[in-house]
Amino acid sequence: MRTIIPAAILLIALLAVPPFLGLGWQNALVNLLIASLFALAFNLLSGQAGLLSFGHAAYFGVGAFATLHLMIAVEDGLPFPTPLLPLAGAGAGLAVGLVAGVFATKRSGVYFALVTLAIAELFHSLAPHLQGWFGGESGISAMRMPWGGFVFGSLLEVYYLTLGWVVLSILVLWAYTRTPFGRLTLALRDNEQRVRFLGYDAHAAKVVVFTISAMFSGVAGALLAISNETANYALFSAHVSAQVVLHTFVGGATIFLGPVIGAVVFTLFAYIVSDLTRSWLFYQGLIFVLVMLYAPIGIGGVIRHHLRHWRSIDWSRLAAPYALAGVGGAMIAGGVVFLTECVAILFGEEYAVAMRDAGDTLPPFEMAGMSWDPLGPASWLPPILLLSIGGLCLHRARDRIKPLWDAIEGGAAKEGTR
Amino acid sequence: MEFAIISALNGVIYGLLLFMVSAGLTLIFGMMGVLNFAHASFYMLGAYIAYAVSSIFGFWAGLLVAPLIVGGVGMLVERYLLPRVHAHGHAHELLLTFGLALIIEEAVKLFFGDFPVNYQMPESLRFAAFSLFDTNYPFYRLFIGGIAVAMFIALWLLLSRTRTGIIVRAAERLPAMAEALGHNIPVVFMSVFGTGAALAGLAGAVAGAFYPTNPNMGLELGVIVFVVVVVGGLGSLKGSLLASLMIGLFSSYAVGIDWSLATLFDLAGLGGWARAVGGLITMEVSSISGTIPFVLMLLVLLIRPAGLMGERN
Repeated sequence: MRTIIPAAILLIALLAVPPFLGLGWQNALVNLLIASLFALAFNLLSGQAGLLSFGHAAYFGVGAFATLHLMIAVEDGLPFPTPLLPLAGAGAGLAVGLVAGVFATKRSGVYFALVTLAIAELFHSLAPHLQGWFGGESGISAMRMPWGGFVFGSLLEVYYLTLGWVVLSILVLWAYTRTPFGRLTLALRDNEQRVRFLGYDAHAAKVVVFTISAMFSGVAGALLAISNETANYALFSAHVSAQVVLHTFVGGATIFLGPVIGAVVFTLFAYIVSDLTRSWLFYQGLIFVLVMLYAPIGIGGVIRHHLRHWRSIDWSRLAAPYALAGVGGAMIAGGVVFLTECVAILFGEEYAVAMRDAGDTLPPFEMAGMSWDPLGPASWLPPILLLSIGGLCLHRARDRIKPLWDAIEGGAAKEGTR
Repeated sequence: MEFAIISALNGVIYGLLLFMVSAGLTLIFGMMGVLNFAHASFYMLGAYIAYAVSSIFGFWAGLLVAPLIVGGVGMLVERYLLPRVHAHGHAHELLLTFGLALIIEEAVKLFFGDFPVNYQMPESLRFAAFSLFDTNYPFYRLFIGGIAVAMFIALWLLLSRTRTGIIVRAAERLPAMAEALGHNIPVVFMSVFGTGAALAGLAGAVAGAFYPTNPNMGLELGVIVFVVVVVGGLGSLKGSLLASLMIGLFSSYAVGIDWSLATLFDLAGLGGWARAVGGLITMEVSSISGTIPFVLMLLVLLIRPAGLMGERN
């Protein structure tokens, strides 16, 4: 019950709100849903089965291209219902995933990661030369055809189609984790040796997991193809594979919905911040590394940790240090953003021109609506203050939070042994 | 003939450059089991630092300073960042270096812009070494090759002929035992990581002045370097030298070869049929020269994951 009510509220919001949003937000939501599904499919393999893939762009891209080919066939008169187009992506992802999976899962650890990387690079380097399948460097395009009263002309219709497929896929993937095979998937990650001793064929099981993961990645790619109506070989690039890794591990690979959290956070972050600054990819990398260093279980992991101990948390004592940590974190973030944007401006082309005009001196620069002197102490005092005070706050907060959490976890451990 | 000889020279020198980058990667993997995704970023960082320093203090200063700074960055990463995630396993170490690669790439774009910079070799090195078939062969290519060879010899002497080398090799084989014998293994690990990074930085500083220096150079070289260390055998220095030369020669020859699978079918008299089928069969070697290294890497990973010279599977 505790999970059904929030999920129902979220679903109702996802159904009811978008008609009142602008096109930009509708588009962002479509991308967010696709990224969520892709990350979940990826996490089935990397989080649940413990096989870290660096080449999931291959199955995502194959799904997109297969769907576009089917759409072209529909344009030419094939009677195929438009809402079922993602089946082509699923089929292609499944087929390619099966072949790739048979080979890739023969290796584990770093070698597995390298095999998947090589497979994706294979697609990426071959696709621009294969005119018939991938349309060469320019890619292929197709139009969404109307079906059964739906025109599929507006973004809103595409959004609902995407939402339907993503919710359905998430339900299937969740149901999967509840089956005996879903438990076996976790066992593959935790102790493969034991799985083998129990009489299971570990390799076959891995192939099945790989194939399912590739199939749902294909569905995600198909949804992207339907929404964009075009695709080119850039879909196979290492950046696509990198993004899904980022989403999954920032969100938390050990929790079912963790990847969705990561995908939502990063897609919204990209949508909002990429308008404001060109350095948003830098911040994205920074966030990823900070999460890896200080919260390797991801955002979702931290949330679950709190929910699990909810009853034994004494918020009256924890709230103040948490607020302090929040303030410290915000100050450090402010300092880092300040410095990064300064660098971006001072080393940018516009400033180089301004410097030449000013006769090789350092003219003041504009940032956030104010003028700053690059050599004046007043410009560098704010970031130094922000960073040092923020650091101090975080340090103090950590010293106060740690004993409290040790007590909570100690109490929980005692409960367990009793 | 002209094509064969010039390509062989270019290929060997490109291979030696690949070796300069892959040597550090394979040493680090052999020792710590960390596949450093940020290694090619160290190469790029070296090129950019050398560019920044050389525009003020001259080319040679850049060549000297870049490896030192990049080596320092490598040591900091090994000392302060990797141990934090070590407890969570190799996957997290991989992810951390992957994130660092992203940050380095974006930081370079932040400082130097998302376009190639004009990093040039000095005029004093811009001359023809010799003339071959009426073409002047640039001295700088030989210079790149010479530095790589000197580095290989130095590294080999260091590892096989000195006390330090013995300790490093011991730390690679049995770290716990070497530590029990009183050697400071954490410092050894840090130095190896730093040296590997510095070598990549040196390679970047040397090669950046000849090949284009842009924010994509790390990613572009990175995947090829992975191919090299996998084909050579992860952890094997000799293997990566051999694989570097192989890949280098291959990529310099492939550009000029217009064979395709259809040419093979010609031998059996099926060329016409093959050309009618089209697709993969009619693709010329020159146009898929970027693909073949990955095919090679896949084959090695699947058939003999230890690579050409590696010992462990």
